[in-house]
Amino acid sequence: MKALYFSGKAGGGKTATALGVGMKLKKEGFKVSYFKPIGFRKGTVKKDDDDVILMREILKLPLSCKTISPITVNDQYLTAHFIKELPGLLPRITEAYRSCQEGYDLVLIDGSIEPFVGANNGLDDFSLAASLDAAVLPVIRADNDFQLDENLLYLDLWIAKQIQVIGCIFNNVDQAQWIKSNSIYRSTLEEKGFPVLGVIPRRLEISSPTVAEFYDALHGELLAAPDNLNRLVENVVIGTMTIESALGYLRRAPNKALITGGDRSDMALTALETSTSVIIFTGGLYPDVRVLSRAAEKGVPVILVHEDTYSTVENLQSVYRSIHPQNKEAIAIVQETMDKHVNWKPIFDYVRG
Amino acid sequence: MNGLDFLFNPQQVAVIGASQSPQKIGYAILDNIIKSGYKGAIYPVNPRESEIGGRKCYCSIKDIDVPVELAVISIPAAKVGQVARECGQSGVKGLVVITAGFKEVGLEGHKLEQELLKICREFGMRMLGPNCVGLMNTHSPINASFANGFPNRGNISFISQSGAMLVSILDWSFEMGLGFSSFISLGNKADLNEVDFIESCADDPQTSVILCYIEDVTNGDRFVKVCSSAARKKPIVILKSGTSTAGAQAASSHTGALAGSDRAYDAAFRQCGVLRADSMNDLFDLARAFSAQPLPLQPRVAIVTNAGGPAIVTTDAVEKNGLKMARFTKETIDQLRENLPPAANIYNPVDLIGDARNDRYHFALDTVLKDNNVDSVLVLLCPAAVTEPLETAKSIVELSQRFASKPVMAVYMGGKSLETGNNYLTENGIPVFTFPEPSVRAIKGMVDYAGYKNNPAVLEPVELASIDQAAAQNVINDVLADRRVVMLGHEASSMMAAYGIPVSHSYLAETEEEAAKIAVKVGLPVALKISSPRILHKTDVGGVEIGLHSEAEVRRAFTRIMEKVRYFMPDAPIYGIEVQNMVEDGVEVIVGMSRDIQFGPLVVFGLGGIYVNLLEEVTFRLATALVTREEVEKMIAETKAYTLLKGYRGKKAADIGALTDSILRTARMVSDLKQITEMDINPIRVHTKGVTALDVKITIEDNDH
Repeated sequence: MKALYFSGKAGGGKTATALGVGMKLKKEGFKVSYFKPIGFRKGTVKKDDDDVILMREILKLPLSCKTISPITVNDQYLTAHFIKELPGLLPRITEAYRSCQEGYDLVLIDGSIEPFVGANNGLDDFSLAASLDAAVLPVIRADNDFQLDENLLYLDLWIAKQIQVIGCIFNNVDQAQWIKSNSIYRSTLEEKGFPVLGVIPRRLEISSPTVAEFYDALHGELLAAPDNLNRLVENVVIGTMTIESALGYLRRAPNKALITGGDRSDMALTALETSTSVIIFTGGLYPDVRVLSRAAEKGVPVILVHEDTYSTVENLQSVYRSIHPQNKEAIAIVQETMDKHVNWKPIFDYVRG
Repeated sequence: MNGLDFLFNPQQVAVIGASQSPQKIGYAILDNIIKSGYKGAIYPVNPRESEIGGRKCYCSIKDIDVPVELAVISIPAAKVGQVARECGQSGVKGLVVITAGFKEVGLEGHKLEQELLKICREFGMRMLGPNCVGLMNTHSPINASFANGFPNRGNISFISQSGAMLVSILDWSFEMGLGFSSFISLGNKADLNEVDFIESCADDPQTSVILCYIEDVTNGDRFVKVCSSAARKKPIVILKSGTSTAGAQAASSHTGALAGSDRAYDAAFRQCGVLRADSMNDLFDLARAFSAQPLPLQPRVAIVTNAGGPAIVTTDAVEKNGLKMARFTKETIDQLRENLPPAANIYNPVDLIGDARNDRYHFALDTVLKDNNVDSVLVLLCPAAVTEPLETAKSIVELSQRFASKPVMAVYMGGKSLETGNNYLTENGIPVFTFPEPSVRAIKGMVDYAGYKNNPAVLEPVELASIDQAAAQNVINDVLADRRVVMLGHEASSMMAAYGIPVSHSYLAETEEEAAKIAVKVGLPVALKISSPRILHKTDVGGVEIGLHSEAEVRRAFTRIMEKVRYFMPDAPIYGIEVQNMVEDGVEVIVGMSRDIQFGPLVVFGLGGIYVNLLEEVTFRLATALVTREEVEKMIAETKAYTLLKGYRGKKAADIGALTDSILRTARMVSDLKQITEMDINPIRVHTKGVTALDVKITIEDNDH
């Protein structure tokens, strides 16, 4: 029985990578399981619960969510209550893990939101990997050179803790980072003896949030097209300019979320003539009924929130994309992209060896 | 009125929702029809009444034993659909739906309106409204509306998107002595819209001028097509509101109208010979002029006055409006000198001085109208002690009728004392104004219209060789496949090449080495430009370096650009750096395009470079107008760029012919490829021989959104 830890910074695509690896190995006939020792919850955003449900569905695991993900924290987790529970946490984790690994060839272990979470009590990724006797597949997120340095430090730590590093994967790499990731970053890692198994480009169809996730994050009122919440949101545009300047600007942002005041009928109507996924009216200003008619005609959802524009944009920073188990297309895209960009040999060697 | 006869001159009309009670709209409509003197059969329909005003009242349209041509409907919105169906089944041809509560109130109303429209289509009925005041025609006559009053008979047709404005104008028209042939309230324009009525009024022998108040145009293409030919038959004057930003917002709230670019409206109106009024006053001043006076052959104006000061004001207005002060022939001058007092001014403006009575006016006007150098005359009259406003008015009328081919207008500058004179002029077809400026504006309108009408229709479009639409379409498809809508420099270059527009081709390099190799290939010296769909103003972020003369310089510039751009825009996706050959000197102009939501591609031309947004020395046309060399040359000549192109301060003239060709090709490209939404060729450099497009930005859209 082998265990493979997927560790890396938030937003790097750990779960997506685990999903891709899991599906590939399952296809090759291996019995694959999933475990997420420490989940993360911020406010009511339920991302990690969604990840657990997704993996459970795909891998058809007859286990409860609580078993698959026994502990949940947020950035204020050291409460008096939690500190009392601390000694019992590692046993709880190992107990749950046992249930997850029994009868399987490989367990995919999903790292914490950041590798260091839980370091104050030996519950960080590095310590847990050692406790659970896993090898690691670091998922690198490097949006800039500082983040590359951070990841290099983590890699040194894996070596220091004597955890086997199978190889690194860059996932969700943006166009902005593509050239650099494939040249300087890749060669830096390889020179230091860390094989790079793949550099996977970001696919907007699966990494962009949908209107549904926006709706969840905003707690607003849905005023039109409630059936089209699955539209992808690839751009966020704040509409405060004059109409003359607006049209060109709106045209350059396809599949956008437009944020504007409810009194800007002209802005909303103009946006509806371009590619728009959702209109968000701020400040509690109920829009003109004619705008709602037009939005309904175009099948574009309209959300009314009571916060001002600034607060709304802040709230949207926490929007994540979750892949739903029923979303066959998204799952196919994950499989296809990983197939194309990943060198599978070291992974197979590890699982078989 | 030909195709819409069943609306303007129906043989039978049914009033559905007719009422006994004078408070109800259903009462007003029926009353109006009767009072207007309508000669056809009138059928009130209301299941609750058995007779109204002595007429038999029917339960439903189906109970009427003959097919009724027109039905005017004023019943609750929810019931209109069913009634419309009954009308269709009974063979009704036209509906006027007065009822409100449709698209203008929101989603529910919108649905009702869609259903109503479907029913009309099913039975081949045409509908005016819903949510309208109704329509009137003074010649039939018929008043199928709930407005208070019926216009005086005349030859002006007024089409209005605002019902409220229509009733105001109706009331005001009586004071002004204006006569109308039709009054039409468009309402929600669910079926019939302004274009249908413009078309029909253009063919109406009782209409001499068509006036419109609109907040938006329903179908831009159709508008241009219909108005272009309608304007050759009758002058069309349109007041379109929502020109200011705040106004556009108000219009959006009023009718849900889309704020299309005002420049596009200007360009569209210009192209189809439509006159644009810039105020409500303007709209009706022009109407008065067209309604009563002939078109001037040329812009030469003569002024006959008894007051010097106002004459100068008028002269200023003539020049300001782009008209000309007529220069009399020697005969005219001699005649005037012989017969007018020595103190009088005999050159234009002809000042008869303050003691002028009717005889002097009569003589001067007669002489001036005879002069072949005079196309139109303005008669100014100030109430001095011995002035004879009424007699003078009679002279004006008499002479105007004698010289029936030249427009004459009067400016009676005063109040009560000029009232009888004023009324006489109005009653006899001479437009009279209190102040001179509007009269000059009216002449200008007539001159502009005459210019359009007398010009031959658009010549054959120019044949353009070497156009590869398929290649350009492929570039578009590839960009969309990459999930982008903004083209990169080298992609835009390929578009130019496909349409035969000379371009300094750029090649994308991802590394310094590549850049150096390309530089050698295209030939040093070169320019380097950052390639990113998010960076529009490349110079501002250090994204451009020019005049690089060696491979080493190219490599260094490559690195510098990458660092600077990362510093200023760290999140911008970078595809690489474009390498482009340096191009010889020339005049820098801009050729751009934006796809207007109503009218389609709108082309802009003018002075280029990075200050284009600041200087705004530009001019606009719809792409559909730019199909002949003549029109393109006219466009170029409208800006100061033209002066530069002809050779300014010792510079040689630039190749305007090649520029014209490029503009024709640009217009063709944006007309062919409907997915292009925005395009900016800035600058396009015009050399002494040839042109080169230096920087091209293109935004497209995926039409399935």
